[in-house]
Amino acid sequence: MRHPVLSLVVLVAAAGLLILPLTAHHEITAKFDPAKTSTLRGIVTYVDWSNPHVHIFMNVGTGNNQVNWAVELESVVDLQKAGYKRDTVKPGDAISVEGITARDNSRQIWGNTVTLTAGNRRVFNVPEEPATPKTAGAPTPRWPDGKPRLGPVTGTTGYWAKPSASILVQSGTTVRANKNGLLANIADVDKVAPFQPWARDLFALRQRNRLADDPQYLYCLPPGGPRQFQGAMGVQFIEDKEHQRIFVFVGSVDRNWRLIYLDGRQQVGQVRGDADNPLYYGRSVGKWEGDALVVDTKGFNEKFWFSNGGLPHTDKLHLIEKFTRTDTNTLKYEVTIDDPGAYTRSWTSGWDMQWVANEELPVFFCQDNRP
Amino acid sequence: MTQRALVAFILALALVTGVFGQNLGTGTGGGQRGTTAAAATPAVPAKPTPRWPNGKPLLGTSPGEVSLWLPAGGGGERFINADSAVPVPDKLRESEVPMQPWARALFAYRLENQLEPHTRCRPSGGPRQFLTPYGVEILEMPSSQTIFIMDLGGPHTYRAIYMDGRPHPADLVPSYYGHSIGRWEGDTLVIDSVGFNEKFWIDRQGTPHTDRLHMIEKLTRTDYNTIKYEVTIDDVGAYTKTWTSGFNLRWVANSELFEYVCQDNNYAPELMVGTQESVDRTSKIVP
Repeated sequence: MRHPVLSLVVLVAAAGLLILPLTAHHEITAKFDPAKTSTLRGIVTYVDWSNPHVHIFMNVGTGNNQVNWAVELESVVDLQKAGYKRDTVKPGDAISVEGITARDNSRQIWGNTVTLTAGNRRVFNVPEEPATPKTAGAPTPRWPDGKPRLGPVTGTTGYWAKPSASILVQSGTTVRANKNGLLANIADVDKVAPFQPWARDLFALRQRNRLADDPQYLYCLPPGGPRQFQGAMGVQFIEDKEHQRIFVFVGSVDRNWRLIYLDGRQQVGQVRGDADNPLYYGRSVGKWEGDALVVDTKGFNEKFWFSNGGLPHTDKLHLIEKFTRTDTNTLKYEVTIDDPGAYTRSWTSGWDMQWVANEELPVFFCQDNRP
Repeated sequence: MTQRALVAFILALALVTGVFGQNLGTGTGGGQRGTTAAAATPAVPAKPTPRWPNGKPLLGTSPGEVSLWLPAGGGGERFINADSAVPVPDKLRESEVPMQPWARALFAYRLENQLEPHTRCRPSGGPRQFLTPYGVEILEMPSSQTIFIMDLGGPHTYRAIYMDGRPHPADLVPSYYGHSIGRWEGDTLVIDSVGFNEKFWIDRQGTPHTDRLHMIEKLTRTDYNTIKYEVTIDDVGAYTKTWTSGFNLRWVANSELFEYVCQDNNYAPELMVGTQESVDRTSKIVP
């Protein structure tokens, strides 16, 4: 410890007492070391109330030995849902923070608990959302032409969230992973998908690095492919019947939109015929097969991770996605992955999403607290 | 390399590589990748304003049509007229804008130091979202009580304008686009917005604003090819009274939305995710 006073203040908790955060938007153990637990006490100097993660800055120590620490917390969206506001903690407040500190020994801590000294009141506590029991919803809402409506009925609001899986894993396999797609057991790598050797090794490397190289978090690059349906912020479908196209509004990362054309066009010419310009969201064409929207997408670039957890893909990636609103509350997502550049055969995966009624898609920008 | 030198270097690099191409206001910046914006304006008189069956003007793309709205001046037009420039009707000169002293000083600084957050892929609220050479599509569907402005020239995002009569929420988290509610006054869409953050510029020059900004925008499609865009800036944090500016949007046929992602190939990632004075974020993993 470089600061003698600090060492008095930082109470290193017993090794092995690992308190892991539950709901962070990205893999915080890449930055913070779960083994380095600490408790800090000090005075708040600034509150950066912005996404993706709120930061509280606090002075720790006294006199000339004060140092400023950054306390990282959940997103504005999550903290607000839990009832907290940007003035819940204010500059000048005395707080204590229990958490885990940065691997690089910079003065940053992930706040597992924050307590206002006055009144000994615990704040910024985001409880793990209880698993919602699956209830049979009302029948699937439909357009006048009989097709299912993927978005909200006129006059109502709502969006899709809470995916039942957090990583793309081939159907019929069970693999434990956290919300960010970090495997509970690295030995499960081979079970995840029919990888080619290089892809398997790259996937394992990304996992061993605790997803630290994720372009979505490093540079707020778009979550193309199945990953847009794995995000914590959910998605919305806007069906533009007049122009035979569907917008997917992606709640996570940078509030992007993806276009699915149902007007019979080919997967070329969507960017003025520039076939050499592969895309994050690819070129998507869709059609209805009974009650399922079937979307065929090609033309991806290789600059993003197409699933939580860092499964590799190449520009040969070809996806067939099937969306079925089985009742008001349930969207069934099925995907066939065909990428002869990274996998030995085509394979399938899928999960359900739940309807979040009476709410708009949260306003979340990955860039928000960047300088 | 000092931080200042680094920033200067990145800026120079970015200018050379065209990251800031959108800021140059050439009017054809989007032409090569996405639009035919440079097509000559037809000499024939414009068709009348298209309308919905209920008589309201249609701001979006007519059924069966493909189109975008681009700034009529190519995006380089000024929101505030320079004192030295030729007077422009309905547009204030710089010295006439009722800026508070700090705002005037900041504006002067920004005119000299054009490191706009837009170039670091921040969404741009207010007039700025209409002032990119890629333009916008106004998404207006009979089945939806929300009008979306698809902001093509930013980080691939959009703005929502609620038309269902809801009020502004009481406790808004400041955001780039603010909270917008719209209504029709005759043939004009009137949008009332509050709840802005201070992390973007409302125009290209750097006209200051604070989180107390209240903006009233009026969009009138005066003929098939034109939307008159007017905005009243009501911000007691930065101005001594309200003031108004605007510009025209130009309808561009046979152009449609495409995937432009600001972060893609942006040569200033350090500025997007890197250092901040108050905390060591030199680690690759950023918050």
